[in-house]
Amino acid sequence: MDSFSSSLPSSGPGANPDAVMEQIKAQLAQAYAQEFLETVGNKCFEKCVTKPGSSLSGSESSCISRCVDRYIEATGIVSRALFSSQR
Amino acid sequence: MDASALNNPRLKAMIEEERTKAMANELVAKLTFLCWDKCVTGSVGSSFSRSETSCLSNCAKRFSEVKMMTMQRFTGRS
Repeated sequence: MDSFSSSLPSSGPGANPDAVMEQIKAQLAQAYAQEFLETVGNKCFEKCVTKPGSSLSGSESSCISRCVDRYIEATGIVSRALFSSQR
Repeated sequence: MDASALNNPRLKAMIEEERTKAMANELVAKLTFLCWDKCVTGSVGSSFSRSETSCLSNCAKRFSEVKMMTMQRFTGRS
């Protein structure tokens, strides 16, 4: 995460912690979104584009739309299973 | 970033909270990645079937158990 820390605002001892935290949170959110997009793109390419043609077919395109929705839904299911169920 | 800013205990606490959240997000992302392959085997529909939904949920819970088991085994208590 070297590039991460070097892009933080240079802040002296009087720096406002809230402003620093907002920057940190924004960068974390952006990094998370980028990684999520890459993962979903890879998974849905595997699922939907089984025989690459010279362009994406209509069924491939709608498969990808559904796949993105399903992957987001799957993320929610996994998240609830891990963090909100009580045995 | 000036290291002396990290002496601020409030900032430290906020950073620690974000770290915990980031680790939780990473675990969810990793498990979704693994469980997707196990549970979404056929074609992708416009909603999940009940078996796909319970598979995903079970997958996440079983993973937690496996993690616990492997740690216990590794440290000699099984």
